[in-house]
Amino acid sequence: MSKKPTDTRTEAEEAALRERSRAPTYRKVRRVEPTEGPGTPSAKAPDPDLGDAMIPKERYTSRGFLQLEWDRMWSKVWLLGGLESDVPEPGDYICTEIGRESILLVRQADGRMRAFYNVCLHRGNRLRPTGISSADTFKCQYHHWEYGIDGRFVRIPDLDTFPQGAPPCRGLKELPCDTWGGFVWFSLNREVGPLADYLAPIPQHLDPYHFPRMALTRAITVEWNCNWKTSVDAFNESYHVQGIHPQLLYYLHDLDIQIDCYDRHNRYLIPFGTVSPRVRKPPSIPDPIKSIMKTAGMDPADYDEPLENLRRDVQRHKRRTGASMGRDYSGLNDDQLTDDYHYLIFPNVTLNVHADDLMLFRQRPHPTDPNRMLYDVWTFELVPEGAERPARPKHQYFRHGDKSIGLVLDQDAQNLPGVQDGIHSAGLEGLWIGSQELRIRHFHKVLMDYLGSDADEAAAKLDGR
Amino acid sequence: MDLGLRGKRALVTGATKGIGRAIVDLLAAEGCDIALCSRSEDEVESAVREIKTKGVNVSGSAVNVRDAEAYRGWLERSVAELGGCDIFIPNVSAGGGMDSEKNWWKCFEVDVLHTVRGCEFLVPHLEKSGHGSIVIISSTNALETFYAPMAYNAMKAALITYSKQLSQFIGRKNIRVNTVSPGPIYFEGGTWEMIKSTNQKMYDVTLRAMPNGRFGGPDEIAKVVAFLASPSASVITGSNVVADNGYTKRVQY
Repeated sequence: MSKKPTDTRTEAEEAALRERSRAPTYRKVRRVEPTEGPGTPSAKAPDPDLGDAMIPKERYTSRGFLQLEWDRMWSKVWLLGGLESDVPEPGDYICTEIGRESILLVRQADGRMRAFYNVCLHRGNRLRPTGISSADTFKCQYHHWEYGIDGRFVRIPDLDTFPQGAPPCRGLKELPCDTWGGFVWFSLNREVGPLADYLAPIPQHLDPYHFPRMALTRAITVEWNCNWKTSVDAFNESYHVQGIHPQLLYYLHDLDIQIDCYDRHNRYLIPFGTVSPRVRKPPSIPDPIKSIMKTAGMDPADYDEPLENLRRDVQRHKRRTGASMGRDYSGLNDDQLTDDYHYLIFPNVTLNVHADDLMLFRQRPHPTDPNRMLYDVWTFELVPEGAERPARPKHQYFRHGDKSIGLVLDQDAQNLPGVQDGIHSAGLEGLWIGSQELRIRHFHKVLMDYLGSDADEAAAKLDGR
Repeated sequence: MDLGLRGKRALVTGATKGIGRAIVDLLAAEGCDIALCSRSEDEVESAVREIKTKGVNVSGSAVNVRDAEAYRGWLERSVAELGGCDIFIPNVSAGGGMDSEKNWWKCFEVDVLHTVRGCEFLVPHLEKSGHGSIVIISSTNALETFYAPMAYNAMKAALITYSKQLSQFIGRKNIRVNTVSPGPIYFEGGTWEMIKSTNQKMYDVTLRAMPNGRFGGPDEIAKVVAFLASPSASVITGSNVVADNGYTKRVQY
């Protein structure tokens, strides 16, 4: 006769489990002393007390929750729309999508950026397809209603046949638009506060990197088979490095990570150029770390110091030689010359920030399906002073797993559909989050601040659960 | 079979980890006195402490063998401390890499020159032994195309030629000279443990090339080295013993 399944464990089992599962001990990585004044703050922010409750898993699968996210969050916040460098001249525009909406971000004659719904006020036709282009006017292909780059009506064919006249407005419906960091931002919320207030303290943190000095080197959009938050979470913790990125254990310290949660946004600081305490000291410089040295202009064959000095020596080398290589590191502290300063700009912009490059992910929800999302990757490289900016790469679009997007991201991509599937399972009660994953908790706290404490229940009602 | 190693005095370079460490552990267990070196002071200290528990004389120093003077100092000290030398095993290697021309200088200085300098210094002492033995550590990378045209592979090849000719040159002094060419050897803290994480594909391809489906271990190489170093191998000199678990595919006539 089969026994009824039991969910309890004995004290002895508990003790044995703890014994087997302890995190490795390690010597603290040397970090810069926090200083006051300009530059990226390096001081640790006090950890918020966010409890240790399970995160409801339905947030990742519920159509009702997806709807509430749209109504109460996506339509309220500032959103990243594109790159200023893609629209240098008046009339240049970016046509980007969020949810079901399509938005035109247009460079004006006076150099400012303005945002408009990409929709003709006649019968709703889209004015332009998604992408980057240039226009003298926006003329609808359907009946040739025409709008200026400032959104104003230019011409409505046969206006005299509309007894009610033209729509009672100046033209295309405008949305708040602003720029920061070489990026164009917009909001679907016409009452939204200033961008600078929304982003704080991010500009103070990231302006010293001078993003506008970096050039776009890769632009990819992949349709991923998971919820947008499944992706945000994957980049908000380093606990998974041991699981799916074993090669990075010979590249970075995955345990001595400084997590800082701010008002809306958060970050962690990952030491690069050092080996994880989860692996033994290797007999030679690991290839991944050699790549850090080579980028800095160091010859690994000429380096005879113990591995534990390497991160410090790369920092010193870059500090010494940066200016002569046309790389201005003057606004950055020593740790920033090697480490990953990794930010999440709520809700959906993940930035891996380094002195010489930036890897940015924008995670967008699918308009209707909580099990799908759009994953945008933009990578940038610092252009040394005097060097020519490389040509803008073509934007590539593909579906999950169609094409390699690099080893590390492939490893993440391969893993995510399994996570999304598993979240649906009756075998999972909710997300069980540890302190290495504090940013996930913080992200959910900010999300729920927007959605309201009733959101989980309201979503269930909408789903008919 | 008693190899006849008891009371012999062995100098081994790069002996705190991997193959080198397995060699000194085995030689000590067989009753040899040991002088060892490696670059890390901490590692030398703990290796000396641990080997001493086997009841033999052990000395050790932190030495970078690229530093000719420091290296010679260690050779002199070791011979004095052990009261002579019967066995020399130059084991240190700079390892692989194709980062720049400096890899060539590094492999030349570390793999080749440290072996040559050690042999030249120790020949008079090995001669006094009456059954002196040198075992040089090469690699199967010298024998077959491996991965990329690295300085490491070519310098390991140079050692095989040097070893053979040295064996002819000093044979009349009753010193035997042999080479051991290990195939891929896996151990904790070794190169292949790292490659398993950093380059899974290369690891898998390498593993598949071994007919018995596993890597060799440092202790297995140590046994081959200990035999060649011992008076039991009295008839073997000038040979290159390939200890590779079947990794190389050539026919060795």
